[in-house]
Amino acid sequence: METEQEEKPRYFKDEFDSSLEPKPDFSQALGNQSSFLFSSHGDKDNEAEEIIDQPKDIFIAELRRIIPEMSMAFAEELYEKFYESEDNISNAIAYYFEHLDEAQISQSSPTATSPAVTQSSMLSSPLPPSLKRKKDYGYRESKRLKNTLRWKRFIGSLQVTAMATRPTVRPLKYGSGLKLSKTVSNLSPSKLYDPSGKRKTVMANYVRIFDLQTDREIGKVSEDIAQIIYPLLDNDELDFEITLIFCNNKRLSIGDSFILQLDCFLTSLMFDKMNLQSNSSSFETPLRASWDNSSRSILETDEELKNRSRKLALLSLFDKLKVKPVLNEGELLEKIANGSDNTEEVIDLEDDESFEQLMSQDYQEDDGTQHQEDAMNLNQLKTFYSAAQSSESLKDLPETEPSKDIFKLDLRRYQKQGLTWMLRREHEYAKAASNGDDPQVDGSMMNPLWKQFRWPKDMSWTAQKITGNPIELHDDIFFYANLHTGEFSEEKPVLKTIMKGGILSDEMGLGKTISTLALILSCPYDSEVVDKKLFKGEEDDIRETQPHLKPYASKTTLIVVPMSLLNQWNTEFNKANNSSDMRSEIYYGGNVSSLKKLLTKTHNPPTVVITTYGIVQSEWSKIFKKQNIGAEIQSSSGLFSVDFYRIVIDEGHTIRNRTTLTSKAIMDLTSKCKWVLTGTPIINRLDDLYSLVRFLKLEPWSQIGYWKMFVSTPFENKNFKQAFDVVNAILEPVLLRRTKQMKDIDGKPLVELPPKEVIVERLKLSKAQNAVYKYLLDRAEQSVILGLARGDLLKQYSTILVHILRLRQVCCDVKLIGAQDENDEDISQGNQQLIKDSSELDKILKNTDTDVSNNAFSKEDIDNAIDRIMKKYNPQIDFPALECSICTTDPIPLDKIVFTECGHPFCESCIEEYFEFQAGKNLELKCPNCREQINSNRLLTVEKIEAETFKLKHYENNLKPAKLSALLKHLQLLQDSSAGEQVVIFSQFSSYLDILEDELKEAFPTDVAKIYKFDGRLSLKERSTVLQDFQIKDLSRQKILLLSLKAGGVGLNLTCASHAYMMDPWWSPSMEDQAIDRIHRIGQTNNVKVVRFIIENSIEEKMLRIQERKRTIGEAMDADEDERRKRRIEEIKMLFE
Amino acid sequence: MASLPKRIIKETERLISDPVPGITAEPHEDNLRYFNVTVEGPAGSPYENGIFQLELYLPDDYPMEAPKVRFLTKIYHPNIDRLGRICLDVLKTNWSPALQIRTVLLSVQALLASPNPNDPLANDVAEEWIQNEAGAKATAREWTQKYAKKVEN
Repeated sequence: METEQEEKPRYFKDEFDSSLEPKPDFSQALGNQSSFLFSSHGDKDNEAEEIIDQPKDIFIAELRRIIPEMSMAFAEELYEKFYESEDNISNAIAYYFEHLDEAQISQSSPTATSPAVTQSSMLSSPLPPSLKRKKDYGYRESKRLKNTLRWKRFIGSLQVTAMATRPTVRPLKYGSGLKLSKTVSNLSPSKLYDPSGKRKTVMANYVRIFDLQTDREIGKVSEDIAQIIYPLLDNDELDFEITLIFCNNKRLSIGDSFILQLDCFLTSLMFDKMNLQSNSSSFETPLRASWDNSSRSILETDEELKNRSRKLALLSLFDKLKVKPVLNEGELLEKIANGSDNTEEVIDLEDDESFEQLMSQDYQEDDGTQHQEDAMNLNQLKTFYSAAQSSESLKDLPETEPSKDIFKLDLRRYQKQGLTWMLRREHEYAKAASNGDDPQVDGSMMNPLWKQFRWPKDMSWTAQKITGNPIELHDDIFFYANLHTGEFSEEKPVLKTIMKGGILSDEMGLGKTISTLALILSCPYDSEVVDKKLFKGEEDDIRETQPHLKPYASKTTLIVVPMSLLNQWNTEFNKANNSSDMRSEIYYGGNVSSLKKLLTKTHNPPTVVITTYGIVQSEWSKIFKKQNIGAEIQSSSGLFSVDFYRIVIDEGHTIRNRTTLTSKAIMDLTSKCKWVLTGTPIINRLDDLYSLVRFLKLEPWSQIGYWKMFVSTPFENKNFKQAFDVVNAILEPVLLRRTKQMKDIDGKPLVELPPKEVIVERLKLSKAQNAVYKYLLDRAEQSVILGLARGDLLKQYSTILVHILRLRQVCCDVKLIGAQDENDEDISQGNQQLIKDSSELDKILKNTDTDVSNNAFSKEDIDNAIDRIMKKYNPQIDFPALECSICTTDPIPLDKIVFTECGHPFCESCIEEYFEFQAGKNLELKCPNCREQINSNRLLTVEKIEAETFKLKHYENNLKPAKLSALLKHLQLLQDSSAGEQVVIFSQFSSYLDILEDELKEAFPTDVAKIYKFDGRLSLKERSTVLQDFQIKDLSRQKILLLSLKAGGVGLNLTCASHAYMMDPWWSPSMEDQAIDRIHRIGQTNNVKVVRFIIENSIEEKMLRIQERKRTIGEAMDADEDERRKRRIEEIKMLFE
Repeated sequence: MASLPKRIIKETERLISDPVPGITAEPHEDNLRYFNVTVEGPAGSPYENGIFQLELYLPDDYPMEAPKVRFLTKIYHPNIDRLGRICLDVLKTNWSPALQIRTVLLSVQALLASPNPNDPLANDVAEEWIQNEAGAKATAREWTQKYAKKVEN
């Protein structure tokens, strides 16, 4: 480390690679050499004494190994000269370079003409005597570095107060050259920084000032400077020149302060590195590796820490040097041209104020630079969205009205604005409405993360005091830096690809489908291609001659949708399409023999091809298997055989996990324009967006390295502001999001929907459910307690998930347990345990079962009991005035009356409690009133038929699962009150839907209610049949749709129904909202009523609390692994506390 | 302390507003589940003219569980022991949540009217009662005079 460091000054104007360089700046450097005024030479007195005699051959061989072009004669000469000295080889080499002219003469080697000037301006002297100094040159590494380093350029100066750490014999001379060195080289970054990147130690201890001539330590710099310099000393991207400017002209004692000028230079290495990196292929691989790494481990690696500290140091340095980005390039260029540019960009060294300021900063513990981002609160996802939707520009968007000849439907105002935006995104400016200020397509838009800087005038000591006039090395006025990454470039980093398409992220129910269809129908084919064809007459696509290019389906848009939406899209297309030339085709299950031929060879290809994610994925997998990994996905048939004009992916968040096959497959589809439709671009974490960006091929963000560097890593490091700024910068131009709450130009909400009411109905478990629930809860609690005690709760996460799942299933129906369910996740291991449990469960169930069967209440018994009661009471008069002898409530509410077989009335809850109490004490069950034997299965309840008429019937609530009874009650009530209602029943367990289906069919004859079921097991055709049939209003009977959340939670339009029942709660409240939005969306004309069934004092109630929590802390924000982990544990604790 | 069930409040109110003849029951100020009870000896029984102090406590599970009742006044009775504990079926196995404080106390009063020496709690008293009923009754009267004398104002 040290040797490299000391070499640095020499790199100035090193032109070693000059055989490649057209014209080395010879005279300039020579000028520097000769103008070196102050160095005191011949400081030989403390020369090391030991002389190691080396055999001549070894010496020469070594020399020539280092400098192959050195002539033999010269090498011998050097041997004569230096064999006695310590470090003879380095001295010899130093001599060689200083006397290159002679060497050239003596050897007349053609290659040696170039590296004429090797000495740094500050250190070099025309004479050989400073040999002692030279000995420190590391010669081996030097060659590599010299080859890459071409120049350095001044970026600013600092006046720095230093403190002497060693006394000096005599005063240091004004203008003495000094240097900075690390005291300990190769210190592991993890010693210096804690995992979050905060400094652990005092950096001033590690950076010391050395006298250039004597190589003696003199002092140290203040902490703030050391913090900046330390990370930058490691490589040669920056160079520092230090000059003593004040030491009060006296000897320094320890602790005395003296003042230095610190000149900072950027070297060509900084820029070379950038060029290397911008070569994306070589750039992506290592970063991908580290990406994968860090997503697994939370701790930053040493390398990352090092990079991070370097970045921060660069930022602080730019701050300190007051290097400011150029905000208006044109203006500045004009100023320069006019010669009116007086911008002083260098700190005025004579300025007292800044001097004072610098002095006062000395030795202050700096808590971090101004770039240290403030931690952001998690709720700012909302802020992100609000920024992403930039409502201001939305208001300014003109409205594009699609022609009625092609588009049948009426668009809402905001949809027309959306159409304008979409057309603009596809650069179809002619078709989009205009309000006079259309945005220009800026072909050379600068990458927004980069800033333009102006090279300052060279105000360095060397330039000012020695040469007298600043050296201008290049004509370049600007350089470019990305301070987020610490990358530099001489050339303007231009965003190359102008992506066509974007993300339409309107909230659910705002009509993304309609807007997209309007776009497709307004712009059904690539006009460029079609126009060209008109001129050329017959089709002779260049692609034909170039077999590696896929044929271009210039007239076709591919729409990829979840299976449940396939027919809906088709229907919507036909509804919207008003042109006989345009048609849609469903591509599903090989129904099209040759897609390629259809799309590229026929006269009138379909305008849209609709397919599903599943089809894309399965076609992709087939091709992928055949091909080598890494090869471009190519196929002679199917979706991957053509280049589409446009691809639209609906519910685009489907691809959010880029490691899934579906996501990979989608990425490999090619087209000119790409659109993502999604109401929820972020489901879980910020990285969900990456897949969308990648699909859109939004450069440069689609490179994982970029994304990680600017979004993921800052986010993981809790630099939320930076991450979000960047995400906003990325998405602002390509994402349009409107919400239902947004106001249109006239200040009206975009969508006015009828009110919705969501009621939580709390229920009690039935007896059998309760027994099983208690058993399972006990098991679950034990394993959580065990997990918490052992600290490996999360290792048992899947087991606990199973426990939780079981409890949730019991809340629905005991029969659900063990049912194979498509929605059961993470439970493969857990099922093992279930098998163990199942025998125990069977026993519990059998107990309750035998209880039921032994005490079956036969029809005859029921009739007898009813007779008895009817004789005893006059229903009209007595039933509304019964008293419960247990709780003395008087009267018992009608719907709560339960009669014992012997005809005594009680409150439902009181008699339940009595049964429970007696059972708990193993006491006999006798009627509290008459002491006759009673049984919980042999009870009667009052049913109100009409206003004043009552009927008695078997009380079964205790037999049927709680939710089922409640649901039946609700449905019955609805049937009685309004005929022909459509009802949607949601559950996440499709096997529960099966159970419900059977029960409902049993409860309601077909002339009363028609029951439909929609879940993942339906074929496409069945799906559309079910949905179509369900939507037809039938006033004679109720229509009930049992809907699986996974299959039908998204996209479906069920506005024909205004009642919904949510049988079980979901973890994520947004999923529940999504489901409700199936019926509460545009087109709904009635008030929406939703009932959520929740079992009292059960896991479900706790889930509600977790939902609440998720809503408040923003569930989408748990991107941080640590945070997620903590939160999960908390959630589990919440569930079992 | 758990809040008082509605039923207890209701019973208490009714005991005060509509008392059973010969019986009083007043809840303790500090603990509304604890009652101070007095029962008058039934006419024609050896306990006539006596007034007996009892305590009555409603356990947490009341009315699923029976109240706890005990004589505080010394009494000579085959079904009541020296500690005042009462042997009465409705307080034990025959309890039903349909029963109330009022009905329990009526049962206690009835027990005074018709002792049941065949199901004794105080064995010595029961023996005496069976062997020499007149003597036993005389003792009972004597005790009543001695311990349960009505305080005339």
